[in-house]
Amino acid sequence: MPLKNRLPAVLTVLIVMITAVGAMGRTYLDLEDQVHEFTLDNGVRFLVLEKHDVPVFSFRTFVNVGSANEVRGITGLSHILEHMAFKGTPEIGTTDYKAEQKAMAAEDAAFAAFKEIRLAIRPVRARYQQLLDRIPADQREAYDKLVSGSEVTPPDFTLGPEAKAALDYYNDEAKAMEDEYAARRQAFEDAKDAAREFVVTNEYGKIVENNGGQGMNASTSNDITQYFYNMPSNRLELWAYLEGSRMSHPVFREFYTEKDGPVTEERRMRTDNNPIGRLIEQFENLMFMANGYHHSTIGYMSDIQNVSRADCQAYFHRNYVGSNITVAVVGDVDYKDVRKYARKYFADIPAGHPEPVETFEPKQLGEKRFIMEDPSQPLYIAGYHIHNVRHPDWPVYEVIADVLGQGRTSRLYKNLIKDQKIAVNAMAMPGFPGQKYDTGLLVFAMPVKDKTAEDMEGAIDEQIRDIVDHGITAEELEAVKQRARASFIRGLDGNAGMASQLAWYQTFMGDWRELFREVDRIDAVTLDDVQRVAAEIFDVNNRTVAIIKTTDQES
Amino acid sequence: MKRMKNPILSAVLALVVVSVTTGGAAWARKPWEKIKIPALHEIRMPDYERVELDNGMVLYLAEDHELPLVNMRATIDVGSIYEPADKVGLAAMTGTVMRSGGTETHDGDEIDEMVEARGMSVETWIGQTDGGARVSALTEDTQLGLDLLADILRHPAFPEDKIKLAKEQQKASISRRNDDPMTIARREAMVAVFGKDHPLARYPEYATIAAVTRQDMIDFHDTWFHPDRMYMVVTGDFETAAMIDMIKSAFAGWEKATTPLPPDPEIPDLPRTVNIVDKDDLTQTTIIMGHKGIRADSPWYAGVMVGNRILGGGFATRLFNEIRSRQGLAYSVGSSPGTGFRYPGLFMAFCMTKSGTSQKAAEGVLAEIKRMTTEPVTQEELEQAKDGILNSEVFKFDTKEEILGRMVMFERYGYPADFLKQYQQQVRDMTVDQVLEACKEVWHPDRMTILAVGDYQDWDGDFSEFGPVNMVDITIPEPALEIPEATPESLARGKQLMEAAREAAGGKALFDGLKSYSSKSKLSATIQGMDLTFNIEKTVVYPDKAYSVQKTPFGTMTSVLAGDKGWASGPMGDKDLEGKDLEQAREELLTDTIGVFKNLDRFQCQALEPTKVEGVLCYPVHVSGVGDDYQIFFLNADTGRVYMVQSPGISPMTQAPVTQKVFVDDYMEADGFTMPASLRLTYDDELFGTITVQEFQANPKVDMALFTK
Repeated sequence: MPLKNRLPAVLTVLIVMITAVGAMGRTYLDLEDQVHEFTLDNGVRFLVLEKHDVPVFSFRTFVNVGSANEVRGITGLSHILEHMAFKGTPEIGTTDYKAEQKAMAAEDAAFAAFKEIRLAIRPVRARYQQLLDRIPADQREAYDKLVSGSEVTPPDFTLGPEAKAALDYYNDEAKAMEDEYAARRQAFEDAKDAAREFVVTNEYGKIVENNGGQGMNASTSNDITQYFYNMPSNRLELWAYLEGSRMSHPVFREFYTEKDGPVTEERRMRTDNNPIGRLIEQFENLMFMANGYHHSTIGYMSDIQNVSRADCQAYFHRNYVGSNITVAVVGDVDYKDVRKYARKYFADIPAGHPEPVETFEPKQLGEKRFIMEDPSQPLYIAGYHIHNVRHPDWPVYEVIADVLGQGRTSRLYKNLIKDQKIAVNAMAMPGFPGQKYDTGLLVFAMPVKDKTAEDMEGAIDEQIRDIVDHGITAEELEAVKQRARASFIRGLDGNAGMASQLAWYQTFMGDWRELFREVDRIDAVTLDDVQRVAAEIFDVNNRTVAIIKTTDQES
Repeated sequence: MKRMKNPILSAVLALVVVSVTTGGAAWARKPWEKIKIPALHEIRMPDYERVELDNGMVLYLAEDHELPLVNMRATIDVGSIYEPADKVGLAAMTGTVMRSGGTETHDGDEIDEMVEARGMSVETWIGQTDGGARVSALTEDTQLGLDLLADILRHPAFPEDKIKLAKEQQKASISRRNDDPMTIARREAMVAVFGKDHPLARYPEYATIAAVTRQDMIDFHDTWFHPDRMYMVVTGDFETAAMIDMIKSAFAGWEKATTPLPPDPEIPDLPRTVNIVDKDDLTQTTIIMGHKGIRADSPWYAGVMVGNRILGGGFATRLFNEIRSRQGLAYSVGSSPGTGFRYPGLFMAFCMTKSGTSQKAAEGVLAEIKRMTTEPVTQEELEQAKDGILNSEVFKFDTKEEILGRMVMFERYGYPADFLKQYQQQVRDMTVDQVLEACKEVWHPDRMTILAVGDYQDWDGDFSEFGPVNMVDITIPEPALEIPEATPESLARGKQLMEAAREAAGGKALFDGLKSYSSKSKLSATIQGMDLTFNIEKTVVYPDKAYSVQKTPFGTMTSVLAGDKGWASGPMGDKDLEGKDLEQAREELLTDTIGVFKNLDRFQCQALEPTKVEGVLCYPVHVSGVGDDYQIFFLNADTGRVYMVQSPGISPMTQAPVTQKVFVDDYMEADGFTMPASLRLTYDDELFGTITVQEFQANPKVDMALFTK
């Protein structure tokens, strides 16, 4: 686009804005002044924006804790805790809380006993399996019958030396261990059943849904945990009661069923049974050696199995404290009512300032590559280390990612998809897997049929090199800025989106007002910034590559 | 309540209580039930205008000046249900190329630049039952956005380059369609429930994508895109009167459709089938079960909506409570009621569980459904479901676009404007018996077709208790080779590859010296459920004599070619070979693999793009020039030998034209030749039989009396 056309466009925007203000009195321009903010004594921060068009409201509770806060042994716990926040309180979800507490204590003890034997039995089982594998194939069936006691050994049958060795080990070590394992497992199952007797299943969610609550859910990321739904606006006090009580007095009932059931199935669904999920998990493992982004949010299977309710409680008490919690409410509410109910129902959340987890990722000393052989179709991912979202270069990362790989005029789209027709998808994004800590700028591409991940790498590198060597054009930079303006305005639409943005900027940037500075930050980026930062991050030694190499499938 | 004496008074009070609090009985108020719930602020319907233009286009407009944005959404009566079965993908690609290819005045790349530089969004699509376009723009770009919308809808250019791009994208998504178990489950569940060829269940294959031409897209667009089939919803920062004028002029002169919409395809009501996709890299099983449901204007609509709210449409439902929270079998579990506004919907339940509890979970889900159709729900469940539905109705008025969009839907499918009001009243009045009646009428757990994807051998049951198990093959049919125009290079390369293949089979000298041969082989095939074996002995004397004896379970057949004569005899009698049959018998001597290698110079050999066959990299060579037909030799890139030969053929069972493939699975050494020892024969990628060559003898002693009648 010729440069001289730009000025009138900007003028039009200004004129439209001014007219709009004049005509309507209240527009998005003074939205910033309409946001009410207050902090409770315990440090919980509330952000309220009144919008009275429809008698509904949306909220977002952001808790400033995510999987990056976890240490080894409790990976996945932020997410398990998120699931547990739907299990109720001493008042909600139980028929008899006192009796239930006792039953849960017994359940914890049974779990500890079971966990102990589950770990102890591993080497015994491995040893026994090895001995079993040595038994000649023609004796195996007879051996199995002998051990299971289902059939008496024929008189003329003699066990060989391998089978004898296995049988000895079985009788001396393995059998007692297996029996004990079975007993403790049964005791644990019984204790779970006993605790379940007092549970009113999903009563918490039922109250929300019966009152018209809509879109109830929660999500956990590497950085934060968020809870949300939308409510008819006459249920404001009920909402405050429900949200305040689960943030201050949650009861982690059905803890073991939940993590061994739904949470484990969620891991299977997202990670183990999804090729991209499998790739991404180990990609993160490789890219981040030290900081909290090393492990995935869903956590390792063995940690999900081993973590206890006491671990969860300790984690909750450390992290679900006032200074870590931001609640944004947007919709048909009176700010004074929100404040009144917040004081009434959120006051029990303890104050506290948990120390941040700050293991900095050391500088990467050489390129890292991970090639996953898989029957699924090929994929290319490259991650380049960048700083976190509060670093002054962050807007530059956003510009680079936009020009390189966002939208139909981006370099990757134009070259890989439109011109060369070698990719179906090619994108770049800053802030993977998180934004709070030093993180990654991700570039990825999916090839068309019969092209490989390596084909993607060559074509992408060419585009990156061009930006490093020649920077981007003034037109490209101007288009990014215009898109940022439009997307800022679109982001103000809707209660849920607005609540989410306010809570996000408060939590990640330390001040919700930063939402309204976003366009200015992008506007300040120069062509020189882009070239300087591109040269800094797009260094082979600064990247981690993960690809899916398609194995031959059975026909 | 027990203390009350007057039953009428108590009923009235209970009603009052239910309308003020929620979800609980009045006599045991829980802490949250004590919280006062004030009356809901009035739901104000937004001011909107409905206009029908002279050309039949229907507009719904509502102003909203909060943000300087304008959103326009056009919905058109078009869809993949109208595309021909051998061109599946035509509708979707037309929807894509309308935007990506741009118009007669602005090409697609130009539109990309205009749109991206302004932070606008302009998109088009064609789905199963509708299509359309959507524009979101800042107020200042309203005119441009509208002009682009109209131009794209009316004058798409469909340039070849962007068609090729759309085809590449479609092919990629075909190649990726088995990567994710949920994608497989959804797709195959539709096939299982609707039947393979139903317009709502079919999906593109390489062949159907290749069959689509530019002219098809132009015709498809011309047929379906007309103003009288279009509904447009406009919301945002504009003046209604001015906007109507702008739209009028943007669409002026666009002609109405000349033919009526065809009737919708019928939704079949098929009996249960049990379908398994066996995928051994999975540790979790995805289960979907379903059958045909009802339209929203059915008298059972409100009943099953309430029923589903209790069964599985939400967080605290029976399925969620039982399968997920209590038994811990799943993360994802639930149901949908089986209601649709246009078509009868699909009553469906789904669940994802670990391999070892697949059958248990399926049984559990079915048991909950059965309970809904045999026992009344409790009064408490009913009241809670009603509260849930009625209290959340306000969210149907959340945004102006949603409200107007729903009006368009009601108008398109012929629902009364007060449909929601009627529905809410029915829900309010619903009784436990009515819920049971509706669920019983619409839901039939024993007729639900089941589709499950997982590692079958690890499951806790084989699913045969639900019915005869049908294993579903999800192998993606290989794309047909595209034969580009031959170039001197591709011909030279083809000849070179075939010569190398001849070398690997024994070499030119050996083939030149081959004057005759005899062979013995065995064909095993399964035909109509019978395992049959044919023993075949053949003697060939070049250039024009062949004698073969086929011992079949039905008797022995002999066929002889002796120069310009030929005859056949068997249990059905004797017959002379004449005309075309004779010609074909003579041609066969030239065009079977030995014939091709002996007469290589007489063939045109064109090298095609390398490709994988069954995971093996092959160089395909298009061999033609003798007779009318062609063959494609797929030469193993590693060994140079023939891996497979593909040619047009005739199905021996149906006599229909098919693609015949002969795979060489094993080779043997015989008299200096490297000859196929074991072959596999497929018709349209379905295995027909295998051939084992027991003996091959070059230049044997031949009794020439064989060739006299």
